[in-house]
Amino acid sequence: MQFINLFENDFYALFPELFLTCAALLLLVFGVIWSTSKASGYPILVHTVAWLSVWSIVCALGLTLHMPFSIMVCFYNTFVIDELTFLLKVMVLCSTGAALLMSMDYLKTSSLNVFEYSILVLLSCISMLLLVSSYDFISMYLAIEMQSLCFYVLAASKRNSEFSTEAGLKYFLLGAFSSGILLFGCSLIYGSTGITNFEDLAKCFAGISHTEPSLIHVGMCLLSIGFLFKLTAAPFHFWAPDVYEGAPTSVTAFFAMTPKIALLGVFIRLLLCSFYDFLFAWQYVLFFCSVSSLLIGSFGALAQKKIKRLLVYSSIGHVGYLLMGLCCGTVEGLHAVLLYLVLYVFMTVNIFAIILSSIDHAKTNRVKYIQDLGFLGQTHPVLAVTLSATLFSMAGIPPLAGFCSKFYLFFAAMSSSLYSLAILGVLTSVVSCFYYIRLIKIMYFEQPSHVNTFSAMDQEKATLIGLTSVFIVFFFLCPQSLFLWTYKVAYAFLG
Amino acid sequence: MFQLLNFLLICPLIGALVIAFTPSWNVRFIKTYALFISITNFIASLSVWLLFDTSTAKFQFVDRIAWLPFLNMNVYIGIDGISLFFIILTTFLVPVCLLVGWTNITKHVKEYCIAFLILETCMLAVFCMLDLLLFYVFFESVLLPMFLIIGVWGSRERKIRAAYQFFLYTLIGSVLMLLALLLIYFQVGTTDLQVLFVSEFSERRQLLLWLAFFASFAVKVPMVPMHIWLPEAHVEAPTAGSVILAGILLKLGTYGFLRFSIPLFPEASLYFTPLIYTMSIIGIIYASLTTLRQIDLKKIIAYSSVAHMGFVTIGLFSLNVQGIEGALLLMLSHGFVASALFLCIGTLYDRTHTRLIQYYGGLVHVMPLFSFFFFVFTMGNLSLPGTSSFIGEFLILVGTFQTNTWIATLAATGMILGGAYSIWLYNRVVFGSLKPLYIAMCSDVNRREFWLFLPFVIAIVWMGVYPDVFLDPMHISVANVIQHKAFM
Repeated sequence: MQFINLFENDFYALFPELFLTCAALLLLVFGVIWSTSKASGYPILVHTVAWLSVWSIVCALGLTLHMPFSIMVCFYNTFVIDELTFLLKVMVLCSTGAALLMSMDYLKTSSLNVFEYSILVLLSCISMLLLVSSYDFISMYLAIEMQSLCFYVLAASKRNSEFSTEAGLKYFLLGAFSSGILLFGCSLIYGSTGITNFEDLAKCFAGISHTEPSLIHVGMCLLSIGFLFKLTAAPFHFWAPDVYEGAPTSVTAFFAMTPKIALLGVFIRLLLCSFYDFLFAWQYVLFFCSVSSLLIGSFGALAQKKIKRLLVYSSIGHVGYLLMGLCCGTVEGLHAVLLYLVLYVFMTVNIFAIILSSIDHAKTNRVKYIQDLGFLGQTHPVLAVTLSATLFSMAGIPPLAGFCSKFYLFFAAMSSSLYSLAILGVLTSVVSCFYYIRLIKIMYFEQPSHVNTFSAMDQEKATLIGLTSVFIVFFFLCPQSLFLWTYKVAYAFLG
Repeated sequence: MFQLLNFLLICPLIGALVIAFTPSWNVRFIKTYALFISITNFIASLSVWLLFDTSTAKFQFVDRIAWLPFLNMNVYIGIDGISLFFIILTTFLVPVCLLVGWTNITKHVKEYCIAFLILETCMLAVFCMLDLLLFYVFFESVLLPMFLIIGVWGSRERKIRAAYQFFLYTLIGSVLMLLALLLIYFQVGTTDLQVLFVSEFSERRQLLLWLAFFASFAVKVPMVPMHIWLPEAHVEAPTAGSVILAGILLKLGTYGFLRFSIPLFPEASLYFTPLIYTMSIIGIIYASLTTLRQIDLKKIIAYSSVAHMGFVTIGLFSLNVQGIEGALLLMLSHGFVASALFLCIGTLYDRTHTRLIQYYGGLVHVMPLFSFFFFVFTMGNLSLPGTSSFIGEFLILVGTFQTNTWIATLAATGMILGGAYSIWLYNRVVFGSLKPLYIAMCSDVNRREFWLFLPFVIAIVWMGVYPDVFLDPMHISVANVIQHKAFM
């Protein structure tokens, strides 16, 4: 009993995660027992478990929003709760919920008849929640590994597809490789300092000049590379197009948003909290990665014919912008990153919900090539308008939401004298405009070789698309609250 | 208090919203309603003119709405003598555009009306926004409806290329301006124009900022090396699109020069005046000569627009009251004349479905009324005394003579060349022997077109004969712009 009393408050702090863990395990047991029961005729249960998972995520969201502590460090300094984790946790939960909702129809129609899908998503969500609040190398690494394991299985979950299996295998090999690099970086830092805690590292480094290269520099570099690998930043992006294309589209949607939030969150904490005194060292790494991501993201997408590959390259570009903000190392920079991240998630949800809709009445084919969108402006005008608003927003054309995040990002870059990065950023945004507009051109202006008539959309996706579109179009009218919230988080973290 | 400017901005949006929720088979209601909204807006803008106080350089009808107060960015609107007439021009041209498409736009009528109403809001917002960032936002958002107008309702397959060119050319110019204005925001801490007017920038920084703004505005004007998109866009756009392009969008660039570049960066403006002069002179002479060898009617007018905008930029950078007022008047006059000429070409195109000049000839025999209107507008284009363009070009030349005689002389040759291509164009289309192939097709203007042309004739002659009504509200505002010590 003594032991429980010791951790009394700590359990409150991780209550959402604990709840989700219990829910995931219960759902697993429920699924295993029920789906093998001969009496009820081996029900498939995909839909049931998916909906129950969504509801447990909603409950976890409620628990997160009503967290009794705003700032606390718990479990012997291995986990932390603060404004940043709050924002990121809300985002992780929302995006996981959205990913589950938009895959409902997909699971039913594309013979992905495994209820474990939702449970894996739920488990990876738990690990990302833990990752966001981890405050120690060990808890961080364990959370990353748990998340990655779920992802490998998810990527390969379409068992009868060669692409999906290939994606799973590739993801597994390269993911393990990058985890190794990450772990090596951690061990180098631990070897030279004897510390694994983030805050202790910051205290240890404070006030010492770090001009001459040391083992810590090497460790930090390797650590960053591990993270950049997982964030699909160029030049560590080569696995991303294959994995994202091969994985089932609903999984791709999940991959494109949620892990980015969690990994970027902990990366922010590492760089801006623990390694803040090494700012000038890691700035170079991030600068280089940001430049190459911007270039590869915008020019790589020009030649793509498949829509998922195109979106992967566009997300590489977006990672470049996020790294640009992180590169600043200022409150404005962090603020811009958080803002960009929130809006990026909204736009990704919107665009993947549209991509996930089936293009024939038998519901067997889905949007695969960009030419499949041909004539959408004629056959489904509302959907076409929505998609073009999102694409313009991704390209950063005012007055859509994407512009608001981009201008603030450029402002942050300018105010930390990263002029070359800012100029490169705007120029690549023009290049990226080119391929976003190409999609719009295909939808509206071109005469396609064959016309696809999209089947009626299910309610979940329709709701998601509706909500996110309204947000994207009308965000410009009152951006104040989101700006203030993210500013508060950034200021509390760095100020 | 009831704010007229807010009403001007919101009214088309409400109209667009109502139309968006109207079923698209109800074409008649959609058209009538859109026309009603735009005419209401026109009347409202006329009352702005009536209530405008000409005795002050202050911004009038100002209103401030919190947008991002913690970043010091607010929706801050107001007009002065410089922007007043652009507001009226915009609200005047939008109903015209809707009427032009009244019968010949048959597909996507609902979207057509929505696009033009949204475009109207964006353009009005550009002219009355007194916040640099929001100016940029609306300056850019004009691209979206315009891109769709060219792409969807354009006439040929090449329209996609034109829409692309239009979009990317303008975008690449303006993103540099975005960086510049972020730099300004970083230095001053606000994007409120009235604060910026009184803040100083170091000379080095001024040059940089001026160039970034120039990149954006020069593409929009367009000045000669960056003008490639304009003829393409004009030729491929529907008639209404061309009217808006020539009437308003080209003015956004020159308006930007006058509103931002000159007062914010006075030293840099002086420094770069030779650049502007050279580019404008090349523009005037090159574009006028190019006009002579075009075979497409719309391209002729497009290139003549480039030449006229060259005059405008010369006038603006003469940096004295006559020059700038002349430039403003020429912008206004060009807004009427070029739009009217595009309307004429649209009228012909509706009947014959060709714009190639070789198929036309002797139209005076079958279309006398049309020939009359076309004549008035052609005379306006070559700036005959008594038409509005004459006053503008005359004032510009007067202003330029005071600063640079050579430039004024060279610019004056543009008037002669303008006469050459305008009269030659009129001669080829209207006189000569009638091409028998088209006799049946060429009926004279109908009632809708007649009433469409008439206001243009009135405006052009009114501005030519009694320009003081238009010049009077400008005097103090223009004098205020050039009061900086650098210009003394």
